[in-house]
Formats: sequence, structure tokens, C-alpha cells
Amino acid sequence: MRYLILMLSALAFVPAQAPAATIEMEVNGLVCAFCAQGIEKKLRAFPATADVVVSLEKRLVALSTRDSQDIPDEELKRALTDAGYTVKAIHRENETLDDVRQRLKAHQ
Amino acid sequence: MFGPYQAIGWRVAASLVLSTWIAAPTAAKPIAFANGTTIMGEYGAGTMEEAQAFYAPYYWLSVGAGFLRLDSDASARTRDIQYLRVNYLAHRWNLEEAQANVFAWGGLGTATGSDFRGSRLDREAGFQADYETRRVYASWVTDLHESSAYSDRVDTVQLGFSPYAHDYQDLATWFVLQARDYSGGIHHGVEYAALVRLFKGGAWIEAGLTQDGKPQVMMMFNF
Repeated sequence: MRYLILMLSALAFVPAQAPAATIEMEVNGLVCAFCAQGIEKKLRAFPATADVVVSLEKRLVALSTRDSQDIPDEELKRALTDAGYTVKAIHRENETLDDVRQRLKAHQ
Repeated sequence: MFGPYQAIGWRVAASLVLSTWIAAPTAAKPIAFANGTTIMGEYGAGTMEEAQAFYAPYYWLSVGAGFLRLDSDASARTRDIQYLRVNYLAHRWNLEEAQANVFAWGGLGTATGSDFRGSRLDREAGFQADYETRRVYASWVTDLHESSAYSDRVDTVQLGFSPYAHDYQDLATWFVLQARDYSGGIHHGVEYAALVRLFKGGAWIEAGLTQDGKPQVMMMFNF
């Protein structure tokens, strides 16, 4: 019983959520606001999507997910292809979407 | 197939290039994005007025309806056309810093006019080719309306230039030079217009004047 209480106490100090994963996609053909609008709409349709950032300057689309969920590359690729764009690369970064926003802002 | 169109299109393009004015924007496309709705309205210097609404189930297809009024500035002739139309993205090139598209469309409708009795079945066919980066833009659009009583075609070439490269959340500003050629006596010669285009998010407005000082306005909303 004492061990059980100790274990439950330890679990209480574990953060409820790990930091949200950020998925970055390099996209070709991303030249206008309408392009970004279509891509954002597609990606926000995923239930796991928490937020989306699009940078025309960096040809980058980044999204964070809820509760550290992941979205498979194939589904992301299909979403962007269905939006009419070409995906060059998909990678996951160990930073928050706000960090991505700051990084993009710093490069402007 | 597009022989006569090409001849007119090249004539307009050559006139534009020779004019040495450089202007420009992002293109008004008949398909904005998948699962998107586009509403457009245009007032064209007293010679044309058009309103359109399209829904795109896919990024390469949209369907919708429109209304076109053509007013001849050389005579009292007018034409009112209501139509249903299908737009098809025939090809898209997604380049690293640019995008290019080829669209085609076709439609059917009804038309009334001041120079014929009753209404006629209107047949529409059109084509658009465009190329854009975040700083330059070029497009050629040809739109043909035909019936047993008339054949009217409008060819439009636009060249655009943006003074700065906008990003998604920025207000985009473009300076555009437009040349438009009307067949069927709507307007004699090529009609030139200098336009300013502003857009942010899913809304854009474009306004300017023709060489005759007539206003031209176009608005588009995507959602």
C-alpha cells in the first residue's frame, strides 16, 4: 500500500502533457496568401492539429499537435498534395510552434 | 484549336510589352483551393460587369455560376448572360520560388441582348495561363461566349510587380498593367488599365483606371 501511494505521488509530479510536437514541411509552389489559406484549411482538418504556421518567405508549413500526437508523413503528404502543392521534405523538430514563429520573425 | 485566340492573345501581349509599363499581382484564379468557395465581382470600365461564385471540391476543379453584362462603348448594344460553369486546372507547376498554372473552363447559359429577340443558349469556353512569384506576376485569359446570335470574346493580359515580398499575414500590394481586347465591337482597339491590387488573407480588391479614365474594380473573396 505504501508503494502504491509513493507511485501515485510520483505520477502527480509528472507533467500532464509533454511539449507538443512540431512538424515542419518544406513546400514548393507556396507563393501567395491563397495558397497558404488552402494549406492551412487542409491541415486544420486533422483532429490532431493544434495550430498551423505558414511562411511564404521560407516556403515552410509547420504544425503543432494536441497531446503530443503524431500525424504520419503519408497523411501530411496527401493533405498537401490534395491542396495542390508539392512537398519537398517533412521533419520533426524539438521546439514549440511559438519557437518556430520567433525563428521565422527573426529571419525577416 | 486556339489559332485565332492565340493571334489575338499574342497581339495583346506584344502591345503590353511594348508599352514598357511594368505592373502586377497574384492571379485571380477560377479555383482558389480545395473545399474553398470563391466569390468574384468585376466592373470593367463600362464595357463589362461580371459576378461569379464557385465552389471547389478539389484543387483542380470548381463549379459555379455567373452573370456577365457586356456593354458596347461604340454602340447601344448590350448583352446579359447567366451561366453555369466548370473550371478545370489542366496543369500546375509548383516550383521552388514560383507557381504556374493552366486552367480551362466551359459552361452553358442563357443570354438576352439588345440586338436579337428572346433568349439564346449561350456556350462558354475559356483558358487561362499564369505564372507568379512573390514579386512578379503574368497571366493571359481568354473567355469566349457564343450563341446563334453572337460571338463575343474577351482577351486579357496582366503583368504585375510587387514592391515587396509579402508573407501570409501581410497586406500584399501589387501594381498591375492590364491590356484587354474585346471582339464583337464591344470596344475598339486594346483597352489598357493601370491597377493597384491589395489582398490579405482571403480578400482582395483591385482598382484602377483605363487609358480613357474609366474606372475598373474587381473584388474577390475566398473562404
